Amino acid sequence: MGKTVDVKSKILAENDRLAHQIRERFSRTKTLVVNLVSSPGSGKTTLLEATAKALTPRLRMACVVGDVATERDAERLKAAGMPAYQILTGGGCHLDARLVSEALAEAHFEDVDLLFIENVGNLICPTSYDLGEDFKVALLSVTEGDDKPFKYPAIFSRAAAAVITKADLLAHVHFDLGKVREEAKTLNPDVEFMVTSALGEPGIGEWTAFLEQRMASKRAQARVGSA
Amino acid sequence: MHEVGIAEEIYRVCRQSVEANGGGRLARVRVAVGELSAVEPDLLEFAWRGVVAGGPDESAELVIEWRPAVQVCTNCGHRTGGNHTARGAWLSVCPQCGGLMSIEGGRELDIIDLTIEEGG
Repeated sequence: MGKTVDVKSKILAENDRLAHQIRERFSRTKTLVVNLVSSPGSGKTTLLEATAKALTPRLRMACVVGDVATERDAERLKAAGMPAYQILTGGGCHLDARLVSEALAEAHFEDVDLLFIENVGNLICPTSYDLGEDFKVALLSVTEGDDKPFKYPAIFSRAAAAVITKADLLAHVHFDLGKVREEAKTLNPDVEFMVTSALGEPGIGEWTAFLEQRMASKRAQARVGSA
Repeated sequence: MHEVGIAEEIYRVCRQSVEANGGGRLARVRVAVGELSAVEPDLLEFAWRGVVAGGPDESAELVIEWRPAVQVCTNCGHRTGGNHTARGAWLSVCPQCGGLMSIEGGRELDIIDLTIEEGG
């Protein structure tokens, strides 16, 4: 004997409510918000350091970075000229909207063109957490094996961009770029697939061009929305 | 890993709903978990047991409905079945017409309904 009550809500509704607030704030300021997801050591921070050097001072950027421990990533980004705020999860395997909201309240990033959210190094847990981003980016380095998209379909089916990193090491590893591209495109036909090296060839030109194109799109939309 | 957080959130929402519906004991909650939600049903069930243990809803049952992702041809509409992650066998092109496939569904992380036992 019992009473059944319809709920019909998302489990992460509370997270989504906070994510929506973040999204609204950066919609007003026309800031592009990018959530970077990858395994530990794929090169998120290094890519952001190179991005800071390439786009400063033309663009104003900032980063909220999540780690289990240490402020190392935030320190590196600040040294590279990108204002950064470190979130310490103390064991948590992903960022959620509450942590990002609290960080933004402390960080006081004003008038930013590009906000990066460097997620905790993890290809699984960050997948379903909306942080108010415009899109997620999945990084995969050439040293991680070329079988990863199908092994991690949840994130690769969601990411707007699949960024291959450390491409300067291609001569030294078995990494079939064509196979990885095909798997990524299978999981998301619209994915922007790009090959980068923050420290060597081919550089990060494809990545910065992608960011600028997405920024321009967001600004164009914001103008239309306010008409 | 994060299944504990998910289980805690499910329980929080259930507890709120039970109170809003006159109180009682939570007997059962049904959730939908998608193939591409990055939540593992076995781990979620294990986490749930830990979350309700020792509390007023200790014997509350978590019923997990698995929701597969399917691939749909953007050209001819052909649909494939689920259970991709076990085989990892996503199709890069449509087996009927060679067109591009897109993915539908599999991202569910929903609370469907819950059952309350009246009284203590």
